Amino acid sequence: MQRTDQRAEETEVADAGGAADGEGAPGWPRFWPLLLLGAAVVPGTVLYFGGRWMETPAMQAWRTVCLAVTVQALPFLLLGTALSAAINAFVPARVFNRVLPRRPVLAVPVAGAAGVVLPGCECASVPVAKRLIGRGVAPAAAFTFLLSAPAINPVVLTATAVAFPGNPAMVVARLLASLGTAWVMGWLWLWRGRTEWLRPAARYRGHQEGGSRWREFLAGFQHDFLHAGGFLVVGAMATATFNVMVPPSVVDAFAGSPWLSVLFLAGLAIVLAVCSEADAFVAASLSGFSPVARLVFMVVGPMVDLKLIALQAGTFGRAFAIRFSAATVVVAVLAGVLIGGALL
Amino acid sequence: MRRPLQMVLLVLSGVGLLRVSLFTDLYLRYVKEGMRPLLIASGVLLILLGAADAVAYACRREDGGHAGHGDDGHGHHHSGAPRAAWLLFLPALSLLFYAPPALGAYTASRQPSKTVTYEDENDFDPLPATSPLPMTLSDFTRRVQQDRTQAIKGRTVRLTGFVTSAGQDDSWFLTRIMISCCAADAQSVKVRIHGTPAPPANTWVAVTGTWHPDGTLGTRSASAALDARSVEKIDKPVNAYTDALPLTPTG
Repeated sequence: MQRTDQRAEETEVADAGGAADGEGAPGWPRFWPLLLLGAAVVPGTVLYFGGRWMETPAMQAWRTVCLAVTVQALPFLLLGTALSAAINAFVPARVFNRVLPRRPVLAVPVAGAAGVVLPGCECASVPVAKRLIGRGVAPAAAFTFLLSAPAINPVVLTATAVAFPGNPAMVVARLLASLGTAWVMGWLWLWRGRTEWLRPAARYRGHQEGGSRWREFLAGFQHDFLHAGGFLVVGAMATATFNVMVPPSVVDAFAGSPWLSVLFLAGLAIVLAVCSEADAFVAASLSGFSPVARLVFMVVGPMVDLKLIALQAGTFGRAFAIRFSAATVVVAVLAGVLIGGALL
Repeated sequence: MRRPLQMVLLVLSGVGLLRVSLFTDLYLRYVKEGMRPLLIASGVLLILLGAADAVAYACRREDGGHAGHGDDGHGHHHSGAPRAAWLLFLPALSLLFYAPPALGAYTASRQPSKTVTYEDENDFDPLPATSPLPMTLSDFTRRVQQDRTQAIKGRTVRLTGFVTSAGQDDSWFLTRIMISCCAADAQSVKVRIHGTPAPPANTWVAVTGTWHPDGTLGTRSASAALDARSVEKIDKPVNAYTDALPLTPTG
């Protein structure tokens, strides 16, 4: 679209015809009757056949699931982006330096435990983590927060307790395994992580001297929301495609073997992309699986799933998202198996 | 994406959210009722954000006068939303003009029936004496497969749900879809109906009948099935993603 506009402007300049009105509104290209005709006929045809295709039961289910994931996540995405824009515009950088220990090795566990304070889905934590890095927080600490916030906040733990009545060990195991995974990933980033993997655009600068803080807040809010929202839609589409293509009866085929079931539920958590406040109920309903496998489902789900990978790729860059997600899955499965094996 | 388009996108998304949550009940096709306040707040917030942006944009234009490209002249470098933002038009327009229906027979026919939660086996209260007795599909399944006292035996019950075909058999499924968060985690509970021809799929019906003897009542060998005496059409309940009794018995 933007490119078309530019091309239209260039044509205009080349023709030396249109008076530059300075408002950036492109003039009409010469072949506009043809364009008009195309604009009338092509969308009509596409709409007719596309519409009939859209009304098939499978496509309707796909659209419903896709829209459901988007609608469910939008309020939390708004919360996260508002919070991240507020961090950017209103919180001075020295606050973070005072709260977090100077040495990143020590900042990681503090940031992980701080995840308790953000009561939201995983979508909210991605933009917040980006802003934290922008405000000078060590990336390792920010990523620890990114992983722990959606997994161990009070809303999620309460939901887990409700979904597994009379089984407090499950809540404790979830808390420990998630926190452990977040810490290990933070330290792993300190040990092996490279800043080049992060897209340079992700290094935000925070409040600029002289500008209005409110304007800064609004601009950041809008930009972050549009950005993350677009990637949320990508993730929702991927989830809906899996949901409609693979019948849930396949799920039961894996329930028998203990190792296969752990790996299968980890994979299921990634492709289903259920939000972290609800995944406990889904885990509870997978009653054919062992408790350890269900714990792994709940540990992996809030940290890695299709919509999160899309969100992270959009925010931090693809090189980061792929490496980080792959490592997180491995660590989360190990943590789930170890802690689940000990407690459940 | 250009600034004016971004404003349009924000306002469209907000209006779309308000349309499904504030002005209609369409949101119940996608998420649970508890989300309503959050959705309304999000819709209002998006519209405000779009409006604030429009005001800021207009102000800056007046200030700048000749601000050539119209895009932001000062400090920070978000000179426009990324391409991915275009995708947000899909849900926004879909919410406004083309809201897909609630999940139904297609989804249910691909799922096994949800295993009804097995609670303590002996805490079944005596059944009320009303006849026909309105019951949920989950309750009926639980009574049939777990109630050792066999209180359901010989009782006429009335179940409500929508129709899902069961292949070429002469029976069909009475179905409910339940969600725990949004439609992505839908699970279905089904009761097989014998003795009447299947109505068209996705029709909401109330079925009156007695347990279809198959297996030993009160054990898991008993199948959740009903011999239908009568089938009548009912209106679709407002909140379809639950397995609850209809508020008005006749719908």
